[in-house]
Amino acid sequence: MLAVTDLRIAYGKTEVVHGVSFDVAAGECIALIGANGAGKSTILKAICGLIPPSSGDIRFEGRSIGGLPGHAVARLGICMCPEGRQMFPEMTVLENLQLGAYRRRSEDISGTIDEVMTLFPRLRERASQLAGTLSGGEQEMVAIGRALMAKPRLCIFDEPSLGLAPKVVDEIEETLMKIKNLGVTILLVEQAVSMALRVADRAYVLEAGEVVASGTSQEISNDSRVQSAYLGG
Amino acid sequence: MLVDLLQQLFNGLVIGSIYTLVALGLTIIFGILGIAHFAHGSVAMFGGYLTYFLILALGIGVFPAMALAMAGGALLGVVLERVAYYPVRNAPPINSFIIALGLTLIIEKSNLLLFGVDQIIVPTGFNRIFTIGGLALPELRIYILLTAAALVVALTILIQKSWMGMAVRAVAQNRAAAILMGINVHAVSMFVFALSSALGVAAGVLVGALFAIAPGVSGGLVVKGFAVLILGGLGSIPGAIVGGLVLGVSETFASAFVSSAYKDVIAFLLMIGVLLVKPEGIMRRSVAR
Repeated sequence: MLAVTDLRIAYGKTEVVHGVSFDVAAGECIALIGANGAGKSTILKAICGLIPPSSGDIRFEGRSIGGLPGHAVARLGICMCPEGRQMFPEMTVLENLQLGAYRRRSEDISGTIDEVMTLFPRLRERASQLAGTLSGGEQEMVAIGRALMAKPRLCIFDEPSLGLAPKVVDEIEETLMKIKNLGVTILLVEQAVSMALRVADRAYVLEAGEVVASGTSQEISNDSRVQSAYLGG
Repeated sequence: MLVDLLQQLFNGLVIGSIYTLVALGLTIIFGILGIAHFAHGSVAMFGGYLTYFLILALGIGVFPAMALAMAGGALLGVVLERVAYYPVRNAPPINSFIIALGLTLIIEKSNLLLFGVDQIIVPTGFNRIFTIGGLALPELRIYILLTAAALVVALTILIQKSWMGMAVRAVAQNRAAAILMGINVHAVSMFVFALSSALGVAAGVLVGALFAIAPGVSGGLVVKGFAVLILGGLGSIPGAIVGGLVLGVSETFASAFVSSAYKDVIAFLLMIGVLLVKPEGIMRRSVAR
């Protein structure tokens, strides 16, 4: 479904992603793991059209999308739940969710709103509250819900657990499992490696802008380098 | 005395409603693009002149002429955004600032070339004056208030309820997230310029009907508009509405009860006062709500 080939990305003259390749098949959940600064978020931004790649190819359902503007990528059905949650702070929870369905604005979205609120009952209680006034965990639910509102073909999660209490991280993990079981194709970027590996089918390990290991989540969990670097083993 | 107060309040609200229309355009543009669009006053004057000539040339009433001029204004707004501001969208803000100043001169002088140097008054035919309990309510002023109110209500509904309005607010609050939702930020910019310029044109027509349009009027209008923005909070729609009315009423009260010589000082006094006491404006909210 998504195929990234030899992707290179530079900020100015400094190349930060050096020829990364990976792919995501329909219905799969893939994790990109690695330390801070490994280039994970940069790769996601390039896929979503927020920054242009300097070379390499990004193909989505056979079509090259590298360098396409962000809104055009979103309209193809690639939806991102961004790092730091990125609320529309002075809009209500309901309006945030509605905006998630912007690409489906000619359709009736009330059914989808209901589905998202069933997934996150807390959002139903808070529907008319301003998103900026919610707790971090609740904002993460809005961000995930907002991404699902688009009925994405590929849903990208960028550090969904970042800055959240451990108990909330467990909730996020459960939610990701639920979304995966709904059949949504997922690309997950996480620093919480053990959590990511429990959710994902396969994983790629990034270090300093390069893929240094890849395989099924099981294989990656048993990889000694990954264990010593990320899993405290 | 009470009648006097009410009379001045009415007059103030009429003028304030025009300030509100000017400020609304400025505030939406600032909220979305962070541009101080100084040429807005000249666009308003362009609309006033255009309406005047449409009424004369086509023999139509003031409202159809105003509607046509607003459509023309919207088109002009899109052209300004594309030609003047779009090319510098990623450059440091000083660029758009200088462009805004240049645009002001260009449109101001174009108005001179197109419409001449004579002072004009937009003919409305609304000459009756209603008297209620000692209050003099000229028909024209009532229509001005109603027109402005209708436009403000229409804008509010558009911004609050429509998909495009939601997109406008989304871009103002979180540009990157708006892109991820599939919102085309460039289309939103064009829409905002069209909308703001149409509102500005309406304000220009109302100024032309209430007072007169002449070269140089636009400068005063845009200064008042920015005073309202600072009063109400940059980027705030409710702030522009409340701020415009407050400025209009304050001015009228000052000229009625103090001296008309100080009328134009009021805007600056309010501006300085707000900056000293509550620099975020009396209604601290972004384009948001």
